[in-house]
Amino acid sequence: MLNVIDYVPGTTLLHKLNPVTKLALAAAIIAATLLVSGFPALIGLLVLTLALAAYAGVADRMLSLLKVLVPVALIMFVLQIAFTRAGNPVLGFVTDQGLVTGGKACLRLLGVALPLVLMLMVTKTTDLANACVEKLHIPYKYAFTFTTALRFVPVFSQEMNAIMEAQTARGVEFDTKNPLKRLTLMLPVCIPLLVTSVAKTDATALAAEQRGFYLRTRESSFKRYPFTALDAGAFALCAVLIVLGVLL
Amino acid sequence: MQPIVHIDHVSFSYGSAEGAEAEVPLALDDVSLAIEPGAFVGVIGPSGAGKSTLASVMSGAIPHHYAGRLFGATYVDGRDTCDVTLTDISQIVGSVLQDIDAQMVASVVEDELLFGLENFGVPHDQIETRITETLATIGISDLRDREIATLSGGQKQKVAIAAILALRPRMLVLDEPTAALDPASARMVFETLRTVNHTLGVTVVVIEQMVALLSEFCERIVVMDEGRIALDGTPREVFSHSAELRAIGVDSPRTARVSNSLMAKGVAPHGAPCLTVADAYELVSSVVGRARLGRLAGFDAQAEEKSASYGAHLAPSSRSAFGAPDDELAVFATAAAMATDRLTFAAHGAWSRDAARAAFEEELNAPRGRHEDQGIQSVVPVVEFNHVGFAYPGGAAVEDLCFAVHPGEIFALIGQNGAGKTTATKLLNGLLQPTEGRVAIAGLDTRDTPVSTIARHAATLFQNPDRQLCKNTVLDEVAFGLELQGVGGDEARDRARTVIERFGLPEEAAPFSLSRGQRQMVALASVVVLEPEVIVLDEPTSGLDYRECMTVMETVSEMAARGSAVVMVCHDMEVVSDFADRAAVMADGRIVGCGPVGEIFRNPVYMERASVAPPQIVALSEQLARGVSADFAGIGEVSALVDTVVEMVTGGSEARAHA
Repeated sequence: MLNVIDYVPGTTLLHKLNPVTKLALAAAIIAATLLVSGFPALIGLLVLTLALAAYAGVADRMLSLLKVLVPVALIMFVLQIAFTRAGNPVLGFVTDQGLVTGGKACLRLLGVALPLVLMLMVTKTTDLANACVEKLHIPYKYAFTFTTALRFVPVFSQEMNAIMEAQTARGVEFDTKNPLKRLTLMLPVCIPLLVTSVAKTDATALAAEQRGFYLRTRESSFKRYPFTALDAGAFALCAVLIVLGVLL
Repeated sequence: MQPIVHIDHVSFSYGSAEGAEAEVPLALDDVSLAIEPGAFVGVIGPSGAGKSTLASVMSGAIPHHYAGRLFGATYVDGRDTCDVTLTDISQIVGSVLQDIDAQMVASVVEDELLFGLENFGVPHDQIETRITETLATIGISDLRDREIATLSGGQKQKVAIAAILALRPRMLVLDEPTAALDPASARMVFETLRTVNHTLGVTVVVIEQMVALLSEFCERIVVMDEGRIALDGTPREVFSHSAELRAIGVDSPRTARVSNSLMAKGVAPHGAPCLTVADAYELVSSVVGRARLGRLAGFDAQAEEKSASYGAHLAPSSRSAFGAPDDELAVFATAAAMATDRLTFAAHGAWSRDAARAAFEEELNAPRGRHEDQGIQSVVPVVEFNHVGFAYPGGAAVEDLCFAVHPGEIFALIGQNGAGKTTATKLLNGLLQPTEGRVAIAGLDTRDTPVSTIARHAATLFQNPDRQLCKNTVLDEVAFGLELQGVGGDEARDRARTVIERFGLPEEAAPFSLSRGQRQMVALASVVVLEPEVIVLDEPTSGLDYRECMTVMETVSEMAARGSAVVMVCHDMEVVSDFADRAAVMADGRIVGCGPVGEIFRNPVYMERASVAPPQIVALSEQLARGVSADFAGIGEVSALVDTVVEMVTGGSEARAHA
């Protein structure tokens, strides 16, 4: 089963950037998304992210992720409309100001989530961890924790699917149309998932220690992650994005 | 030579160090063991015997990772494991865990190998050669740039071994490396281990349940039972103790059972047990050949003497026919199993041997005729696959599946991992819906019926019981399925209690606090209590020891005898051969052959497509039928084969006496 945050191999410039640069680029897009206030700028940043995704050849994955995110964003939109009372009424309880804040919240949600996911799609997690340790001087322990957490996302989602299938086959009505009922049925499923994950985490800790985890230093990594001219260019782009974000 | 690992009177119990010492049973009980450098050692034993604990003691995880009370001392390469760190120990002893998904740290094969090399500070100019050489030794050079998530189970296992081997440990400890693999991949893993052992001189200690693999690859076998070492020696030495093994709950290779039985009946001269089909063929053909020679020689004095000895031994063999524990039967007697087909056969043992033989022949002529009295053919099938096709978005697919399973029948799906067996079972219980053709369960089309409704007719026992369990007590768990079907709370509990009692499970215990085998029993109990029309088994015996495996399968046969249709996916061909009536061979998403189990196993084309070796007994009887006597054709069970040999030998001497 393919996962949205899995690494997609490629040879584009985006793939070739230093993992730290990619992280900075994603952070810059996110910062800009939070700083800008106009609709054109927000949409522009989203388009930039999607264009980068298309360039890196992960557009299809990005679209499948959007299918999940857009409904969430829409819920946010509706909530904002319902709770914003200021402004002139447009239709019923809906006010023009509500529409504006709701629309922005909705776009910001997408604008924050997508760059991070895009970064993960074009970077191997081991590279990300090693580069962060080398360049950002993050202790390896934390980098390892982070990459392990990421690696466990698909493992646990597979486990969850398997548990749901097993429970469905027993006759638990996961195929019900009622989302509330579905949610209450999900709760008991969390027990086996929790038990499995604790056992897995313990085994991972043991396996890592048996492979010299505690001996690892900043110099251990076989691969080196030097910054290149390409990275300098990307950093310049980051600065431009943030400046634009402040100005717009 | 100094042993690489020396375990000196070690006892261990899990749990906190303070108090409660009387309550916590010892996982290891005064174990002493020395492993010589370069050895290939197999460890076997029933679940809960302390195999994994033994592995942890060797790899240093005890005392450094698991908390508990430890007595005695373990020396790895001459140093006490308590005095050195786990990191130091792991440079000598590399261990491959049971859960390889938890062991993997990277998403790409190359990075997985790099992790340990980097950590242990291997000079960076040597790393490239280490990786290339290790991948070449294991035979996975082509996988170097592959994503681990896209690998098959067998490939993943090899990567896990390679990642440890790249560190150049002097010893490898593996905990059930083949539990999730199909027979072909399991063999490949053992062949890899043998290469590593022979070419690099790495000591290998492997915990394994498949006796056939152990006896073929290991030089030494250690049998564990209740925290102690029960037997320790070469495969021939260990498997000649078939009675002790049976009492412990460990299987023996079927050929060893044949030779041990023949020796016990005095038909064959005493000696080492036969571990391979070739050995057994040799033994049986020489025994039968000598008897024939005796018959030809007529009044030859030597034959006279021999016939006297056969006569003397005829008594014990007929005694066994009258219900005394015979090789096969004793297993089930000790397994304290319920009334089963086989125990019925024990009762049938009271017939004359000729009648039993006739019954066997009848059974073989009819497609495993034991359910024939129920008239399978006239009954409407309860599972129907009609030209069923299904494709995953990823590309894997099954096509044109056609089969029907009748009430009372055990139907096995065999084939390699990825052949589409699990997909077929998911199509059956409605988790997947066919894109082509039609699946009908008890007359219901799975496309129009919700899965929860199909669940009332078809119950599934999954490979991993932990995915099925979700309640706080065993009683709730077993009753849960009934409650889902709309059975009232009190009635559900009453029915659940009856089943729990029969399985001897603790009613109030939390399912997750039980052992792996017991959890599987709880899952099985919650299937049995439903009394379903169809039972789907996905690898029901993997991860279980021999005795648990027998209990599961006997229960399943009993359910079949009561009229349930059973569809099972199973990698253990001995289990398939012993219990299934019919089998379908799957390859590349298609059914390439389907028929009575005996016929399937005797067809080399099917065996090759399924990438399995036929069970030893089938292979042996086939060879004997070709080389010695046509009477051996079609025999699929140890007892039948032994009886045939005995009859040939003694029958020959009786004929001579008449003359």
